[in-house]
Amino acid sequence: MPPPAPSAIPSLPIPSTVSAVTPPNPTDILDELVDTIDGVRSAILASIDGFGLARSSSMSDEASHPAMLAAAIGLARQLVLMGGGEQLRQLVVDHDGGLMLVWPIGNERVLAVLAVTAVEQRRVRAFVQARVGSLAGTPA
Amino acid sequence: MSAQTFKILVTGPFAAGKTSMIQSVSQTQAISTDVVTSGEESDVKSHTTVAMDFGTYCLDGDDTRLLLFGTPGQARFRFMTNILKGDVDVVAFVIDAEATETHAVAGVELRALLRDLRVPAVVAVNRCDDITIARRLARSLGALDGEAVVPCQLIDPDSGREVVVEILLTLLASMESTKVEVA
Repeated sequence: MPPPAPSAIPSLPIPSTVSAVTPPNPTDILDELVDTIDGVRSAILASIDGFGLARSSSMSDEASHPAMLAAAIGLARQLVLMGGGEQLRQLVVDHDGGLMLVWPIGNERVLAVLAVTAVEQRRVRAFVQARVGSLAGTPA
Repeated sequence: MSAQTFKILVTGPFAAGKTSMIQSVSQTQAISTDVVTSGEESDVKSHTTVAMDFGTYCLDGDDTRLLLFGTPGQARFRFMTNILKGDVDVVAFVIDAEATETHAVAGVELRALLRDLRVPAVVAVNRCDDITIARRLARSLGALDGEAVVPCQLIDPDSGREVVVEILLTLLASMESTKVEVA
């Protein structure tokens, strides 16, 4: 019987286990995400205060992109309170050109995955969930 | 008389005191989007606004209501100022008197904003107690002679309310000048 699915992705908890191997760098992880999951176009990792930390090679370098993600997450967290919740799990921007899935990574980072509408969101989540420690960048 | 609501844009450089001002004067629970800072900015302060601040201020016994919209201060968040600046009645420009390294860029920003919006400004000169110094700084940033300048200590709510009083006086003056134009 398979192990229970990790509790949705929700602000992606960072595993507390210590890894002996050097963690892959976030840029490589984002490129791998784009290369391995059909429909994922690009991905970007930002600090929660709006600085770019890594992006897939398919993503252009714009200073406003990480800042917009930080602002969106900042506002979304207030909307969570408005909705009577406590913790933001994910932000989805569903538009005519595709989907943007935005997740808080630990407490200090945010990841956005840009994909086609039909992307298998579960696969994207599983991929990210498995690498969340490296993406969070916090020493395990 | 019907209730009147005015939109105030609270803006200015990083770490000038914008969030402090809104939090200290708001009569409703202020909304803020503070997060921990990283990199060099963490040497200046521990938290920073990434989207907006929001607070309200109503005049006692009157139907006048101010909606205070605060912007982030850093250039990378300029798009938030562009989002928030629509239909603004008064710009409250907050500047830290002691952070002299921010003044040159702040002057460029203030002048561009006022040229764009064509509304009156109140310049709140934070960490300053001297009106002469505050006026000189405001003029160097491009404030006009008639524009309100308030030396203040925004960590203190009473001081924040002095800025609000200047905002109200500025609104009053601008309504009177509009009436004259109409007449």
